[in-house]
Amino acid sequence: MGLAQNLVFGLVTGSYIAIAAIGFTLIYGIVNMINFAYGEYLTVGAFIAILTVGVLPLPLPVAAVVAMAGGGLVSLVLARAFFTPINDTGPVPMLLTSIGLGLALRNAIRLSAGRSARYFDTETTTYRFDGLPELPVGPVNLLGDVFVTSQQLVVVVSALVVFLALHALLTRTDVGIAMRAMGDNESLARVRGIDTQRIRDSVWILAGVLAALAGVLVGIQTNVNADTGFSYILQILSAAILGGAGSVYGAIAGSYIIGLVLALSVAFLPTGMTGISSAVAFLILIVVLLVKPSGIAGQEVREA
Amino acid sequence: MSLADRLPEDDSGRAFLFGAGCVLLAALFALTPLVASVPGVLYVFFEVGILFVVYGMLVLGLDLQYGHTGLVNFGHVVFFAVGAYTVAMLSAQDSFAGLSLGYPWPLALVAGVLVAALLGATVGATSLRLRDDFLAIVTLATAEIFHTLFANFRGIFGGDTGILGVPQPIADLAGDGDTTLVATLLLFGGITAFAFALVTRLTEAPYGRVLRAIRADELVTRSVGKSVFTYKMQAFVYGAALAGFAGGLFALYTGAISPGFFTINVTVTVWIGMLLGGASNHRAVLAGLAVIMGLRLVSRFALDVAPLSADAFASVRLVVIGLILVAIIRYRPAGIWGDARELGVDS
Repeated sequence: MGLAQNLVFGLVTGSYIAIAAIGFTLIYGIVNMINFAYGEYLTVGAFIAILTVGVLPLPLPVAAVVAMAGGGLVSLVLARAFFTPINDTGPVPMLLTSIGLGLALRNAIRLSAGRSARYFDTETTTYRFDGLPELPVGPVNLLGDVFVTSQQLVVVVSALVVFLALHALLTRTDVGIAMRAMGDNESLARVRGIDTQRIRDSVWILAGVLAALAGVLVGIQTNVNADTGFSYILQILSAAILGGAGSVYGAIAGSYIIGLVLALSVAFLPTGMTGISSAVAFLILIVVLLVKPSGIAGQEVREA
Repeated sequence: MSLADRLPEDDSGRAFLFGAGCVLLAALFALTPLVASVPGVLYVFFEVGILFVVYGMLVLGLDLQYGHTGLVNFGHVVFFAVGAYTVAMLSAQDSFAGLSLGYPWPLALVAGVLVAALLGATVGATSLRLRDDFLAIVTLATAEIFHTLFANFRGIFGGDTGILGVPQPIADLAGDGDTTLVATLLLFGGITAFAFALVTRLTEAPYGRVLRAIRADELVTRSVGKSVFTYKMQAFVYGAALAGFAGGLFALYTGAISPGFFTINVTVTVWIGMLLGGASNHRAVLAGLAVIMGLRLVSRFALDVAPLSADAFASVRLVVIGLILVAIIRYRPAGIWGDARELGVDS
């Protein structure tokens, strides 16, 4: 497999990590916590979509919207039940709570869905939109011997749409501007009349929506089981910290770097060693924290 | 003066005495023709009991790090695992997969402690200056990196199979299985009591006061001329070495190790034990761990009567454990037996 093919894989991986990492970094920047249960939100989103496609049955794009709505709701409810009450106890109790919540969620999902992997029903996952040319299901030949599947195209395009929509939200809307103000200085934002609890709730909803979308996109690439989200959490975390915890644009950059490094490490590691490519992402995380703890574009994380 | 008056008054002295008694009893079972017989229903008590005293060493080290110094080490399992793997690879003979160098086990045990301490020093040197929650993330990521390495490098670490053929010195001495169980529980229990005595002596000394001062207010501690980093580093390395020792003993007891023994669930169990009992109080953290390990016992028995598969039951247990962690932090941040003022948390 050529280098160019691996770059395509890296771009795709980077795209869904980026969608998730934005939500993660918003929670870090505005609620000031590392949410370790965040990976489970991806799993929840993927399972909602799979159920919607399989049981109702609705076409995949509709199911994705249902999953995003469900993800936002789940995220808000969990935040209100578990995180908001301990908001002022500091980062460590919040982190430990999220680790406990993640463990509980993961196993609750395993309990209801079982250990086996679930797939999207391929009959309903062809991408057909009225008025648009039908996307082929098989791989598309790009340049020479580089292939890309329509699912991969959907992931990359979805990420671009998310980035544009988010940029508009953060720069054009009152909620988005208030989010940025809170990220900069919460007490100042409160003094200026921003309803900080309402903004926090909006961040939780937005993060849940993004995680669910990322989960659905992971789901259409491969299969999904109870551990899917957990297997991504350290990559999401690495991407967010590499970009600079709290910085949305940094998280996007960090995600593509992680995605490319993962894809290239698969290319350069001997066969049978590809399982350690996830360790590479964590190694990046540690190195970043040591060399430049504030990441590409973020806040200081060392002690004063 | 009666015998009772000569008994030591302080916790650490009594723990030394208790530990010595346990070790002597263990030696009695292991070295003499004396045999023990354990009724079948009690096996599970002994198995969970041995795991409890091994995890007890982990929780004591963690309490030194978090309860006293305030270091949020969320990768404690890695030091346990590294100790176990070092001992296993150095001492095993004819393992199916991975290294098996066949050195004498006492040498391997010393090496296991040293390697764990060295890893602790490396992680500490690079990350003890980070903010609390980032230290947690770095230690957790370190543990995940090592877990991935263990599970993937078949030639060195044995991959998913792990390492077999580790010597089992207690079993060799004791002869039959029941006597081995009793002697192991007594010996490991005695060693955990020694560990308790040592950390208690350490934290009751002025040294421990400095550690608690760092936890309470790092800036003030630094301003009175204490090298905060040195103290943090020492606490971190002591905890790591103790965990490595526990891992080595664990390998010499089980005779075979695999990545499945060293998942994040070990870290979570030990953390819950510590928080539930009350961090910064060595007796309380052991009691908290006993409560959480008791849950493991209960779930083993409940499995026999509940209409659930073993798989589903394992999930239920982990859901409960996760929710217990959440509930302690919310409703009992100082733990059941902890002192809220001592820890500086509002409850």
